[in-house]
Amino acid sequence: MSGHHVSSAKFLWGVAIALLFLTYVTVAVTWIHIPEPWNVVVAIAIAVVKSAIVAAFFMHLWWDTKFNLLLLITSIVFFLILIGITLLDTLYRIDPVPSF
Amino acid sequence: MEQPSTLEKKQDHLQHHFVDSDQQFESAKMGMWIFLVTEILFFGGLFAAYIVFRSWYPELFLLASDHLDTFWGAVNTVVLISSSLTVAMAIRSAQLNQQKGIIINLAITIALAFVFMVIKYFEYTEKFAVGIFPGGYYTYEGIAHDQANIFFSIYYMMTGLHGIHVVVGIGLMVWLLLRARKGHFSSEYYTPVEITGLYWHLVDIIWIFLFPLLYLID
Repeated sequence: MSGHHVSSAKFLWGVAIALLFLTYVTVAVTWIHIPEPWNVVVAIAIAVVKSAIVAAFFMHLWWDTKFNLLLLITSIVFFLILIGITLLDTLYRIDPVPSF
Repeated sequence: MEQPSTLEKKQDHLQHHFVDSDQQFESAKMGMWIFLVTEILFFGGLFAAYIVFRSWYPELFLLASDHLDTFWGAVNTVVLISSSLTVAMAIRSAQLNQQKGIIINLAITIALAFVFMVIKYFEYTEKFAVGIFPGGYYTYEGIAHDQANIFFSIYYMMTGLHGIHVVVGIGLMVWLLLRARKGHFSSEYYTPVEITGLYWHLVDIIWIFLFPLLYLID
């Protein structure tokens, strides 16, 4: 049954330790001062990996029906459309600084 | 059939409009995922605001982020990841019919959520004390930037909305804990634990993004 995967306690602890390790990495990379814009890229990349781990193993998407994964991916696609179209406006204004 | 068989008793959570327990479970879970989609887009609007203003004022984000304490942000990240682990353990306990395990893991989750909110409370009051308020109420002079209030408006909106989600999560966990004590959950039926877990993990994921984006700008 797709919806009733039972993870072992050892596995769940492993996932948590991986997430804590990546938290340490994301803090540690700020100590070495990666130049702009790569510091942002690295921070986002680590956050994406951590989120993927949470979604796949804690939220059971790895063993779940593909439809729930499709829902998650759809929300991310629409989020990227939101940002993409917004930035097409805000990045290319002749007078970029608003009064607020 | 005088006495109800154990099979019937086990199925008493099953609503009449579902074919079987599994279909009911899968439907509930799909419904929760659709709700999580709306949550992602809800927070998505705030992340869009963050991205727009950071692209306009990169130097402001660099300056203002220094006023957030990386240490407590990191502690709260550890707290939330640990609480995600205990929720996952609570679901595992339910799947294995370990009544005590459900209760203990939910109790630890609630405790960790309170730790998160207490740390957040101290972070907020520390800023309020020096006049770092959102929007027009901002009076702090310590950041050499005309739009310094914008960073903190975004900070308060994002962490505030996230905090509200944590408080709602605490309420849901308490409800689960009370039901678990009455023995409502078993390997046959643990849908509320599963879908509350999904909600809690999403709150964790939001924080996983908020922490580097707000606290870790070097």
